[in-house]
Amino acid sequence: MTTTGLNDRVAAKREVRRIKNLPTVPGIVAKISRLVENPETSAAEVGRLITQDQVLSAKVLRMANSAFFGMSRKISSIAQALMILGFDVVKGLVLTSSVFDMIQKSMAGLWEHSIGCAAASGAVATALGRDDAEEILVAGLLHDLGKVVLALNMPEEMDLIKSKVESDNVLFYEAETAVMDFHHGEIGQWLAEHWNLPESLAEPMRLHHNPERAMVQPECTAIVHIADSIIRGWGFGYAGDPWVPPISPAAWEMLKLKGKDLPEILNILEPKLANLSELTQSGS
Amino acid sequence: MKRISVEHAQPGQILAQKLQRSDGVLLAGQGSEVTEGLLRMLTRMNIDSIVIEEENKQTPEELEETFQNRCAELEGRFARVTGLPLMAALKAALIDRARRERDEALAAILPAAEEGAAQ
Ligand SMILES: [Fe+2]
Ligand SMILES: [Fe+2]
Repeated sequence: MTTTGLNDRVAAKREVRRIKNLPTVPGIVAKISRLVENPETSAAEVGRLITQDQVLSAKVLRMANSAFFGMSRKISSIAQALMILGFDVVKGLVLTSSVFDMIQKSMAGLWEHSIGCAAASGAVATALGRDDAEEILVAGLLHDLGKVVLALNMPEEMDLIKSKVESDNVLFYEAETAVMDFHHGEIGQWLAEHWNLPESLAEPMRLHHNPERAMVQPECTAIVHIADSIIRGWGFGYAGDPWVPPISPAAWEMLKLKGKDLPEILNILEPKLANLSELTQSGS
Repeated sequence: MKRISVEHAQPGQILAQKLQRSDGVLLAGQGSEVTEGLLRMLTRMNIDSIVIEEENKQTPEELEETFQNRCAELEGRFARVTGLPLMAALKAALIDRARRERDEALAAILPAAEEGAAQ
């Protein structure tokens, strides 16, 4: 058998999986995306659409008012959230709220890992003095969505990966690569394409374990990559294995981070994590 | 610090973060004590949770043990990345935090311990 033959088979297998197993985009997210494609759509119209679903609106507002954003004033309506946080962030929160149950069901501790990585992404962005910390935070929230699809839609592979993590003492993505020849980053990428997500979410989803390959959003991807290791080091949540993944020195240097920035990042992060407990209790 | 519901709050607890009304007006500063009056006001204003300093009922020996356990857990999590300078720096920063928390908790209970000894 030639290598090409093998590669073809792997590619074919991927293609099949991709078509068969990807969950559909949450209806509300599709509707918002369609609305926004029209340049004449106003924020008020988007606000009205989200507000139609009261449970979802409540979840979005709870996140908007959480320690993530550290608002000194309470955001009391979706319209206000759109005005203060901006359209992309609110859309990210809608997306996160609509996949919340999926994340919760997929793996114990993954929701905590996701909000922890979000808070850590925001903390790194803040320490870097960036003004897009909110957007980067949303990328942190959704970075491991590929694991959710894996756990819910590919249970046999998931079992093999779990036992490999335990028997070989490897990282989750290393076990995924050994079992499937790809990892949750690529699944995340398929999902992002399937759902038409912007590159600011898609690239961190795909490359947060290979940040040096990022082309479109290299800094955002590098920040999520580093945040992932920080939150694993902190021991907040669970992401499939007990180890801290190594930080890529290239990603670290690209952001011009220094060792002395670490204590500062941890100082920004701590009060946020203490407050996020309200997002970990009762989901709905 | 931890967030608790106003229902479960007790007078005498210490606010770990300032409390603000939804329009930004300061209600109580960080470090101030929770009072009956403050709790009544919060209930009236529909504020349902506050962030308080965690009470420390541990003895110095227990605090030391907690610290040692946290260090051991950190060593465990970082076991696959020993020898990488960046990861060593992250681990050191996390251990520093744990040590500082231990020292702050020790400082908070020491006056009480001395009072106890004087009686
Ligand atoms: Fe990941
Ligand atoms: Fe992760």
